[in-house]
Amino acid sequence: MVNGYTPTSLAEALAIRAREIVTPYAGGTDLMIDERREGSYLFLHRVQEMKGIRREGELLCLGAACTYTALMESALTPALLKEAIALIAAPAIRNEGTIGGNIANGSPKADSALIFFVADASLRLASVRGERVMPIRDFYLGRKQLALMPDELIVEVLLPMTWMEHYCYEKVGARKALAISRVAFAGLMTIRDGVIQHAATAFGSVSDVIIRKPELDAMLIGKTVAQAKAVRDAYLEAYREVIVPIRGRVSAEYRKQVCVNLLTEFLSQHGI
Amino acid sequence: MLDISRSVAKKDHAPKTNGSAMYVGDFAPDGLLYGQLVRSPYARAKVLGITLPPLPEGYFTVDASDVPGVNQVHIVKDDTPVFAEDTVEFIGDPVLMLVGPNEEEVARLAAAVQVAYEPLPAVTDIQSADTAFFTYQFGRGDVAQAFHTADKVYEESFETGYQEQAYLETQGLMADYVDGKVTVHGSLQCPYYIHGALIKALGLSPDRVRVVQDATGGGFGGKEDYPSILACQVAVAAIKANGKPVRVWFGRREDIEFTSKRHPSLCVYKVAVKDGRVTAMDIDVTFNAGAYTTLSAVVLQRGIIASPGVYEVPNLRVQGRAVKTNTVPNGAYRGFGAPQTFFAVEMMMDHIARDRGEDPLKFKLANASVQGAMTSTSGRYHFPVPLPRMAETVRHMSGYDQKWQAYAAPQTGRYRKGIGMSIWFHGAGFTGSGERDHIKAVTKLHKYADGRVEILASQAEIGQGICTTLCKIVANELNLPLDSVFYEYPDTDRVPDSGPTVASRSLMTVGELLRRAAIRLRSQWRDGEEQVVEEHFTEPDFVIPFHIETFEGDAYPTYAWAACAAEVTVDTLTGVNSLTGVWACFDVGTPMDENIVMGQMEGGLLQGLGYASMEQMAADRQGRIRNNSFTDYIIPTSVDVPVMQVKLHVEEYPHGPYGAKGAGELPLVGAAAAYMAAMEQALGANIRHIPFSAEDALHILTENQKEVR
Amino acid sequence: MDNSIEFILNGQPVTYRGSATARLLDVLRDTYRQTGVKCGCKEGECGACSIILDGRLVNSCMVAMGRVGGSDVLTIEGYALTPQFKVLDAAYASVSAAQCGYCIPGMLLASECVLRTHPNPTEEQIREGISGNLCRCTGYNAIVKAVQSAAKEGAGLW
Repeated sequence: MVNGYTPTSLAEALAIRAREIVTPYAGGTDLMIDERREGSYLFLHRVQEMKGIRREGELLCLGAACTYTALMESALTPALLKEAIALIAAPAIRNEGTIGGNIANGSPKADSALIFFVADASLRLASVRGERVMPIRDFYLGRKQLALMPDELIVEVLLPMTWMEHYCYEKVGARKALAISRVAFAGLMTIRDGVIQHAATAFGSVSDVIIRKPELDAMLIGKTVAQAKAVRDAYLEAYREVIVPIRGRVSAEYRKQVCVNLLTEFLSQHGI
Repeated sequence: MLDISRSVAKKDHAPKTNGSAMYVGDFAPDGLLYGQLVRSPYARAKVLGITLPPLPEGYFTVDASDVPGVNQVHIVKDDTPVFAEDTVEFIGDPVLMLVGPNEEEVARLAAAVQVAYEPLPAVTDIQSADTAFFTYQFGRGDVAQAFHTADKVYEESFETGYQEQAYLETQGLMADYVDGKVTVHGSLQCPYYIHGALIKALGLSPDRVRVVQDATGGGFGGKEDYPSILACQVAVAAIKANGKPVRVWFGRREDIEFTSKRHPSLCVYKVAVKDGRVTAMDIDVTFNAGAYTTLSAVVLQRGIIASPGVYEVPNLRVQGRAVKTNTVPNGAYRGFGAPQTFFAVEMMMDHIARDRGEDPLKFKLANASVQGAMTSTSGRYHFPVPLPRMAETVRHMSGYDQKWQAYAAPQTGRYRKGIGMSIWFHGAGFTGSGERDHIKAVTKLHKYADGRVEILASQAEIGQGICTTLCKIVANELNLPLDSVFYEYPDTDRVPDSGPTVASRSLMTVGELLRRAAIRLRSQWRDGEEQVVEEHFTEPDFVIPFHIETFEGDAYPTYAWAACAAEVTVDTLTGVNSLTGVWACFDVGTPMDENIVMGQMEGGLLQGLGYASMEQMAADRQGRIRNNSFTDYIIPTSVDVPVMQVKLHVEEYPHGPYGAKGAGELPLVGAAAAYMAAMEQALGANIRHIPFSAEDALHILTENQKEVR
Repeated sequence: MDNSIEFILNGQPVTYRGSATARLLDVLRDTYRQTGVKCGCKEGECGACSIILDGRLVNSCMVAMGRVGGSDVLTIEGYALTPQFKVLDAAYASVSAAQCGYCIPGMLLASECVLRTHPNPTEEQIREGISGNLCRCTGYNAIVKAVQSAAKEGAGLW
């Protein structure tokens, strides 16, 4: 009897996933923390279709089994994602840890997932039954609850690059390396000719799922900076209502206050 | 620089870099059995009964009924049982050990043991504690009168939290019982402490107990008393194991949660000031001892003796208590009670200075003790007190004056800066007459016929470099190349009891004994012959005898001194702070090896900075330690600290080897106060507790804002 | 479990027969007696078990055996035989960077990886490169100095 599978193609991986009860092993850096070594693992590090980094028009397609280090070394990776990755754990973890694993772990503290949320990325999911593409926001159903079918794998992250250039990223950890985010914030804002073309924000480590509210950010889009200033208080108030932190290593009050502070700072950096 | 201070490659360097050093977890003898402790899940409970799962052949358990001698671990007061009997007193109190040949199976079976408990009311925090294990009082002068005539009286309370030693190698010991003799070896600081504990618990004569140190991955006090407890447990298992060796090696979580830590404290200071001078202090110190007394008496003694800081206080009243709570017993950690009280007194002096509108450093130096002045226990500072010069050095290194003034002005913008300085001492060696009355250290030098010389002593190399520095001293006196003098990990079958590896005593006290032994050997040297010389501790004549009943006399023969400045930047949006500079000057007498001393100073300093900030640990209302992993109990990484700039100041101690005095603990003791003084300047508020978190900082910033509005 | 996993250990091909979900750390220590690979936490939080896997630093506690098939594993025991080790070892010795020694095998391998990426590293690059390797003894000053000095002494090796 064997308890490990090392497929080299996606078709092979999906066939095993459909046939056996296996835990997908991408980088192992979350999985291996668990003391129990039960069941069988489906090792994904040799599945070529899950290791690519390629540009398709406005989309950057990132293989789910790409390690953080591979992304850091790619010229295609946007600066925002690199900034977030650079603060994840430490080199040894980044050498093995993958974005697919970070997403599939289902934690609101996932630092790379925060970037995929703020960018409104989608996930390409596959099984022997076929493929589907799902916005990452729909993929998270709750804490550790994912819209992943038992026979599916996350194959790629599809990252829209249109608005990635102008960003803000803040990670609040208890130290500067090997730190779990207590609050993480990512914001995108593109202003052309004094008009806000795009605005997006996301908050990690705050609630059960990363907070992303495009309907609130829409309050700013299409407005001039002056107009945005006029709705600033209403915008911040709206966020105060939707940021409902859970208590953890730090208090809920602290989490909320930091979120609001960082959001306010993000606006004022843009003159709002 | 003296020749002896010149750095050499450490004696234990090669095996530690090429991976061949054998730590306790690295041994794989035939027939090795693994032990796993079954621990109480209750802070306090009556043990009603134990039901074991069916045990496969080769598996067995040991509990209190298997202890052949007295079911007590000899530490100071001997109230710690080897295994709990009628009651358990903290979450983690060991009830029995499950032993067997397969580690995973042992863990599975241990988890399947059912112990029936009747939970009893428990005290889990220092405020509700109603039992004082130890109470001490001392003082002098007329405190009431001084308060009465003071210009102003200040009263504040300070709290400090747990600190975990966080040595990289977790606790672990192995034992075997062959031909009526027990051998215990592993990760430890004090072979003869363990030897004494085993004699009592096993009821064996001294010659039938042997303790050997293996390569040890850090101690910092954490392996001073705890290994005595674990040794008794492992040895009891070994006696039942029929000649097979038994090993217990903790996982990180078990180690953090259930082994000793720095005592949390609550200190209340009342200080009288008249004409810019401190005229009285009334100090009340409470340490949380945990469930058993272990080392709390001596930790408390050092803590209260240090409680007035470096200051000359003509009227003094000090009260100290170590209280019982149903939590993990606290013990030794580098600094041994002094980091708690030095944090309190240094912050207190900062606050008074700020209230008076003075530069804290000036106010502190104006009140600091000088050579010849009376210590807190009415002994004397017999040797120079170099604090003014050391503070001067740190002022220049750090740019303190300009920075202090610049940051004192109102700051705007997202980031705010602060700089702070603290000054402190560490009493070198054992407190009081411990060295003379209890330890009575003995060392030997064994010269072989080929001219090589072996040092026989019970000092444990735990990273502090003692196996190198002791050899340097002996080689220097004998005019031998360093290669010709050697020191093995201590084995109680081979070495005399030169005392434990604690209290910054090894180099100063044992090093001096060995220097004298070497001088004697030199005078008797006969080529080609085997020779042994022996040297016994004698107390220097100048020491004013210390009386523990009244806390009068010289608590320490001499002191190591320190001044440290820290600079921080605080993010007003998140409360997160960054250390942007750390500068320190330390006087540990003559360095026996400059690299080694600098390594001690820098490493200890960083532990002190961690103590102030990120090293957060708390017991919940049930008495359970929540931060029990390296994910939740975090220590500084390489990117959390800038280059720490350290300079040495040398005041030679005439009774230490070549002028050396205690070193190891000093750098940790007052570092937290410098850090927090800097935070206070950045935040514009007084700080009265450590560890101090980003959340605490943001809270202060928010309150400040409210006041401004 | 009878998975058969072939990999290269310190230059020698080996075949591991056992569970694919076993920790590389445990297998290296127990099966191959590479006890220079230290265990400090088994949670990827301390770096004591660092090894070099296919040229990159990893925590061996965070790697399952199934990941290792076809890979190249370098432990301190293998690294200690290289010319690069000689230079780094001497640099560590010159500043007494090894105290208790428990973090040191992992720290040396992390240092090696810093120098492979940055033959002339800045202080910041060194600190970043060893940021996953906890040391409780030194305060890191000496280790940073050692890597800086190795870069100078071993010019051309990396």
